[in-house]
Amino acid sequence: MVKFFENTFSYDYQWPAVTLAYFLRYPNPYSTHVVSTDTLSTRIDPETGTLHITRLHLKRGKLPASVARFIPKIKESYILEKSIVDARNQTLKTENRNLDWDGVLSVVENQVYAPSGPDTTDVKTVVRFESKFGRRAEVTEKRGWLGGWGAGSVQRSIELVGRSRMRDGLQRSREGMKIVLEQLRERGFVGV
Amino acid sequence: MSASLAPECSERKERYDTCFINWYSEKYLRGSTAPSPECEALFKEYKTCLNAALKEKGIYDMIKEARKTSPNGGSGGAA
Repeated sequence: MVKFFENTFSYDYQWPAVTLAYFLRYPNPYSTHVVSTDTLSTRIDPETGTLHITRLHLKRGKLPASVARFIPKIKESYILEKSIVDARNQTLKTENRNLDWDGVLSVVENQVYAPSGPDTTDVKTVVRFESKFGRRAEVTEKRGWLGGWGAGSVQRSIELVGRSRMRDGLQRSREGMKIVLEQLRERGFVGV
Repeated sequence: MSASLAPECSERKERYDTCFINWYSEKYLRGSTAPSPECEALFKEYKTCLNAALKEKGIYDMIKEARKTSPNGGSGGAA
């Protein structure tokens, strides 16, 4: 099952500063659940001049009780982030997805950052929220993992919790970005 | 700067991150979009350390596999 969550938000900063803040967004006071960030690769496409960056984040957090009932023992999650910066056309495209819950619950967040005015940058967020529980249940039921739970109701309950958490998470990540942007402004980074 | 997954790589990561952010803000964003070897040596040192840590944690192969695929067909950042 695939669902979409869409949202557009505008930062009162120029695009270069917003992209820099994106790469510097951790740590911030709203990101205490983010344990670490590592760069896996960076490369420039020699023809287009686009910059491709792949990073790995480790996030820690308690699952809500209603989900923990079905997916015990998940205390941390690896997030793979792929970004493409196009400095010539002023766009930043990002993709973040969780790796290790992949078989059960997959959340893919895509963002596009582009200038919307001389001093403003819009970010469009699309989240694909996917539960593969139905398929997973076929495999695991043989081991008795699911017991008497109906796969359909489990899936709905996980998706409901996932979506509300996603909204909260998006709000927190914005607040975090704003703090990093303010720090950049204080340090005198005003753009290009 | 954010921490590394592997504390033993933190110094190397910080040196690379500093180099990268300087290059990104001072050069790339200002129009120098040609490939640059500026931070390559620092990245190599950091990457050697990080890869060893990922292997030790048993997640190296999982990450390698995940990097190959892009669930949205590459629209949002498949390298």
